[in-house]
Amino acid sequence: MLTQRIAWILWPAFLVACGMEVVFFTLFDPADLNFFGQPLEASRMTIYSVGFFAFWALGAASSFLTCFLQRSPWEVNRCPLPASGRPEGCPKREGPPCC
Amino acid sequence: MTHAAGEPRPEAAPAASGAPLKVVAAGAGDEVDRGLFEVRKKIYPRAVHGWFARLRWSAVWFTQVLFYGLPWITWNDRQAVLFDLAARKFYIFGAVLWPQDFIYLTLLLVTAAVSLFLFTAVAGRLWCGYACPQTVYTEIFLWIERMIEGDRGARTKLDAGPLTARKFGLKAAKHAVWAAAAFWTGFTFVGYFTPIKVLGGEFLSLSLGPWETFWVCFYGFATYGNAGWMREQVCKYMCPYARFQGAMFDQDTLIIAYDRERGEPRGSRGRKADPKALGLGSCVDCDICVQVCPTGIDIRAGLQYECIGCAACIDGCDQVMEKMGYPKGLIRYSTEHAMQEHSGLQGIVRRVVRPRTMIYAGLLATVVTALVTALYLRVPLKVDVIRDRGALVREVEDGELENVYRLQVMNATESAHRYRIAVEGLPGLRVASQPVVEMAAASTRAFPLRIRLPGAEAKGGSQRIVITVTAEDGDHLQVREKAVFISPRKDEN
Repeated sequence: MLTQRIAWILWPAFLVACGMEVVFFTLFDPADLNFFGQPLEASRMTIYSVGFFAFWALGAASSFLTCFLQRSPWEVNRCPLPASGRPEGCPKREGPPCC
Repeated sequence: MTHAAGEPRPEAAPAASGAPLKVVAAGAGDEVDRGLFEVRKKIYPRAVHGWFARLRWSAVWFTQVLFYGLPWITWNDRQAVLFDLAARKFYIFGAVLWPQDFIYLTLLLVTAAVSLFLFTAVAGRLWCGYACPQTVYTEIFLWIERMIEGDRGARTKLDAGPLTARKFGLKAAKHAVWAAAAFWTGFTFVGYFTPIKVLGGEFLSLSLGPWETFWVCFYGFATYGNAGWMREQVCKYMCPYARFQGAMFDQDTLIIAYDRERGEPRGSRGRKADPKALGLGSCVDCDICVQVCPTGIDIRAGLQYECIGCAACIDGCDQVMEKMGYPKGLIRYSTEHAMQEHSGLQGIVRRVVRPRTMIYAGLLATVVTALVTALYLRVPLKVDVIRDRGALVREVEDGELENVYRLQVMNATESAHRYRIAVEGLPGLRVASQPVVEMAAASTRAFPLRIRLPGAEAKGGSQRIVITVTAEDGDHLQVREKAVFISPRKDEN
């Protein structure tokens, strides 16, 4: 499941980052961007590349929260029921007694 | 046809050589098609020959000659197709596009999307089966794999066997050739953004820039991973189009269909045996259709969303039918309606014209017309007039009033031009700054523009004027840009 989750987070974020990269850098010239009031002293290629990864990271953060919120609170937190009292099919039924 | 696209896949028949297609997810206990992320049954597509295989290879050749070849073509002493990101200019043969031309890219993408809808509605997953880079590179990588490790049987045996020197050698050779193909693909990709001949020189002298190196590796690695390892999983789990293509399907969409009526009951028999006497249909249950399938499905179970429409099973089955002396086409391109009505090509063609395809075709025609018109009307000269923020208006000698602007001129052609700046809209209005400017090819410059109006003509407040920029060398380049001339109100004087 972990690999699947990682793919769910990174892959849609990658697709969105491609789109963002095209739209953002078509509308804004990296040479015109300021960073805390100072012009960015980097080549356009650097800014395009760093920008792509920034978009990817932002998209991944959003996907991560989506994945996280999709899980029920019982999956994320400590289950109030003892391990033996958990319903049939519960992923934590057979789990270690601590969680 | 019993299963429409998008419906859950029915119970698949046992796959080739007794290996089940379905795998048991670890610990879950229920039989599910997990694939990709945990337990994936590796698919060993068998080589296939036939009409559709040739068609697919033609598509591979066509797209790849285009992709690998295009950056090497020279036009006007520069790379014919170059997306020069560093200079923010796109060169496409005779045209130079700037970020301001984004609308054309947008229209082009809309055209591509609507075309995809139309093709899908008419002929199913043509894109997936023949043109998608995922299919094309998988085909190339599979070919390499087959050349080195052998066909399906040999590969299965090799993978199942212990790690011998021979196995290690074959695997190493395969990965080396894959890596070389992937590198060349990444190099070509970056060659669309950095002049490829410069890139080649830098590579040979080991002076490739850090970002260029990075992107060559990134794209190369993606190719290697997608075509070598991920393959059909990209289509099954990662591709957004594969998820919703079923929405464009209807009962008249061309699909790859198994003729259940003719094929069932399936069963093996000798070549000379009479199937009727044995109570069998035409399907000899040889599983060739499953073995050649790049996504590992059994088309006889009906249309499934995993089917990328590559028609490998048609070629495979036709070969078997020919050997058996049966008519070809037990698996064939058809539509659900045509299968029900037992109608052939004519029945299919008759139903191509239907509301869905007409709507998609209408949309496509509209977007293409808009794109062609916009491109035809495009003037490769762009002008922006910005009022000087410092002073609204000042009075100069002879009682004239002067407004100052900043004129941004973009010469989007590939030749140098002299442009004459003129102004109209009010009597006596004139350009007091340099009226003729020189611009190098494909360049942008800003000029201060001073416009004067005789005091007697000033009506007070803001009045509309028009600034025209015209090429003096008669290339029919002219842009008219609206602006505002401000003069003091009379009562304020």
